[in-house]
Amino acid sequence: MDDTRFRTRFLVWTWTVFVLVALYLPIVVGAVASFSRSRYFAFPVKAWSIDWWAKTVDSIEIGMIVRNSFLVAGFVTAIAVVIAFFGALAFARYDWKGRSLFQKLVILPIFFPQPVLGLALLLWFSALGIQTSWMTAVFAHLVWIVPVVTLVISIQVYGFDPTLEEAAFDLGCSRWQVFREVTLPILWPGIWSGGLFAFLLSWGNFPLSLYTAGADSTIPKWLYAKMVAGYTPMVPALGTMSTLGAAIALILGGVVVLLVRRLRAA
Amino acid sequence: MSEPAPAALPVTAGERALSLGAKCSLPVAVLLALGFAAPLVAIFAFSFATPRSFDVFRSFTLANYATLFDPSNTVWLSFAWSIGFAFATVALLAVVAYPIAFGLDRVFGRAASAMSLLFVFPLFVSENVRLYGWTLFFIKNGVLDGTAKALALAGGTDVLYSPGMILFGMVYTYLPFMLFPITLGLAMVPRDIVDAARDLGAGRLTIWREIELPLAMPGILIGMLLTFVLGIGAVAEAKILGGQSVIVISHDIEIAFTYSQNWPLGSALAVIVSVFVGALTLWGLSRLDLDRLLGRR
Amino acid sequence: MSAAPTSQQKPILQLVGVRKTFGDFTAVDDIDLDVREGEFLTIVGPSGSGKTTLLRMLAGLEKPSEGWITLAGENLNDVPPNRRPTCLVFQSLALFPHKTVGENIEFPLKVKGVAAAARKERALELMRVVRLPESYYAKNVMKCSGGERQRVAIARALAYDPAVLFFDEPLSAIDYKLKKILEKELKDLHKETGKTFIYITHSLEEAMVMSDRIGVMRTGRLVQVGTPEEIYARPVDRFVSEFVGEVNVVAVEKGADGAWRSPDLSGPVALALPEALAEAERVELVIRPEYMRFVAEGERADNVLEGVVYNEYSLGSRVQYQVRCGERVVLVELSRSKALAASVDRTVRVGWDAADAIVVGG
Repeated sequence: MDDTRFRTRFLVWTWTVFVLVALYLPIVVGAVASFSRSRYFAFPVKAWSIDWWAKTVDSIEIGMIVRNSFLVAGFVTAIAVVIAFFGALAFARYDWKGRSLFQKLVILPIFFPQPVLGLALLLWFSALGIQTSWMTAVFAHLVWIVPVVTLVISIQVYGFDPTLEEAAFDLGCSRWQVFREVTLPILWPGIWSGGLFAFLLSWGNFPLSLYTAGADSTIPKWLYAKMVAGYTPMVPALGTMSTLGAAIALILGGVVVLLVRRLRAA
Repeated sequence: MSEPAPAALPVTAGERALSLGAKCSLPVAVLLALGFAAPLVAIFAFSFATPRSFDVFRSFTLANYATLFDPSNTVWLSFAWSIGFAFATVALLAVVAYPIAFGLDRVFGRAASAMSLLFVFPLFVSENVRLYGWTLFFIKNGVLDGTAKALALAGGTDVLYSPGMILFGMVYTYLPFMLFPITLGLAMVPRDIVDAARDLGAGRLTIWREIELPLAMPGILIGMLLTFVLGIGAVAEAKILGGQSVIVISHDIEIAFTYSQNWPLGSALAVIVSVFVGALTLWGLSRLDLDRLLGRR
Repeated sequence: MSAAPTSQQKPILQLVGVRKTFGDFTAVDDIDLDVREGEFLTIVGPSGSGKTTLLRMLAGLEKPSEGWITLAGENLNDVPPNRRPTCLVFQSLALFPHKTVGENIEFPLKVKGVAAAARKERALELMRVVRLPESYYAKNVMKCSGGERQRVAIARALAYDPAVLFFDEPLSAIDYKLKKILEKELKDLHKETGKTFIYITHSLEEAMVMSDRIGVMRTGRLVQVGTPEEIYARPVDRFVSEFVGEVNVVAVEKGADGAWRSPDLSGPVALALPEALAEAERVELVIRPEYMRFVAEGERADNVLEGVVYNEYSLGSRVQYQVRCGERVVLVELSRSKALAASVDRTVRVGWDAADAIVVGG
């Protein structure tokens, strides 16, 4: 019996590592390509250079695009977290009449192909006479991201013990105090993760931004335009930088959660 | 204790008509009404407008649908490709992702959280960056071709810009969407039931077939549904990795909206896709207990 | 209902006609109860009897469908929990997992706006009262053991300084030894603080040990309220008597000749009929196993049965025998010192005296 179990574990590990390598391979290839001196990519790389990275960092155009991405992601995060928090309470905490229907409807945008959603939104904006810009991109991102963040926070809310709120109430708190002293502090890891998700999903989003950001360009949009026409190693350079940025944000976010957890448990 | 416990703080007199849960749901509901339902209504309305015009709500014609339902229209080819790709992706990913989900649930132990993170992270890297990495890998003088040439083997540039490549790209992109629901599904299989089955003499295959699979089915079905539905609308893979070899349905919609400036036609197409996807999703979700899947005690 | 309260024991909490329904289901059905100031009252009942709902109504977490609850004469029905001078110790304790022991205990004081230094002083004082070491002040509450967490929960409730403290089955999930210790400590705490304690549990043993009075609840109604002694020796019906422990029940009918007869006994049954049942044609005799005894040759009892011992159980300091008499099984309990040697399969006579049987309506 132990032999087969060992074999199963070995196979599972091997397969997983193989898939992981394949998963990250294109990202690594992109990084490699960004350090190639020549304008066009050829493997094995004959000459290395960090010139393209320098050009990317110096470029004003790219600076603006990065700013746009930050702007959009920032707004999306701030708004999504608030809306999704209440959504999660409605999803997982309170029993109310429409809850079951609400749960299904909230998830619907996740099960919808983003390109089609993006195009539908573009049409909707045009019909309303709204000029597409980074602001409409924020709105478009929210439509898809808020359901995701709602789910993330809901998972935390499911584990929340409602008698804690009752106890606080019994001990003299007003409703607002209950929220501030008990509900929020206990739920905040979920909220933080939700915010992180929101930021990262918005940062890397391509299909929605492509159709709804109008003249404003985000990083993925710009990259795509250059991939189609006008490739230089600045493309993988920016792509790799963007990836590194996401990784750093994720790690920082995780570190914050760990730190707070350790402080509380002391 | 058989007495039901309240789900919210007690209500004192003078507190409102809407329950607390309903009030909390309002922001999300409004957002989705304006940002999800409304655009769908818009494209629905547009699909009945005069072709190539922008007279929405001022004209009504079935001409767009007639154009689409004309059997000679290449749209059907696009549909076939999209659905075919989606099916194939689901089938392949079910096989690819299951062992990993199994690992996350049972094998990796403490490393499972870190592994999950590693599998989630690519979602945060925009898909065109990742797919372009594969382009650089498979392109002429790319990693594969260059390595082959360096090893004095025949080059393999023709792999790129083919349907096979598109499928590969889709399997690559949608892995997390199959993986995490299956993991959730497997998490629903209680460990002691598996142990009990083993204790009663069942072999590995029997346990898998009789116990794990049925109990994890909700998660597996969600994963399949999600992958299928997203796969139908996938377009980046076809564009970046497929060149012009295949036009998928989302690309058709985009062409109608941009090049052809034929919004009514594009809308009609989008409506068909939306109805298909929406019906499938609502049917799939209606058979689900989301509370149990996401971990309610 | 027991005797009218004396001036020293005026009712602090009164329930009049209190009823709670959830849709079609009646959880609490027409309860009238006077709770005396400073007493330790325990409500016992099996699961589903409505005791938790009753407690939640007293705490203000549920609103009565009918009837009212008054505290010191004031109607509490519309007063929310955060304004009642009462505090509930939850079954799950509901300790705030993200706060330390000190922060948990100080919580009601912080809400009231008490300054930090005064809060800490009071918290440490309360920790002494519940016998928690001072070093626990900064300890995260989830790191404490079950018994320690109990004490934190009680200290936190005391910090609120309520007139009445409610306890929702706090000892149900604790092992026996710790439970015995905590029972005694709760009783001491009650004496020290002088507050009114209302305690609910399904374990009569807990109730007997700690309470001044016990209320027995069944399917939403209060069946009997009295001192532990009254509940035990003078149960008002069969349910209450059985609730207290295993009993022997003999149904008897009054025959045409006025004598009481039972199918299991050959002659007439001697019993002491209480006045309340003077007109009854059919009653049940409840005989506790410790009042049932073996009647040896030459001894006599008012009522005797013949049977064979078929099982013997050790109950710690007592021994219980199961005796098959015809169709019925009779339970006899003796203290270990008086135990029979080699009892199983012995033919014996068992019997009881009329005065030892509790007569309840049939």
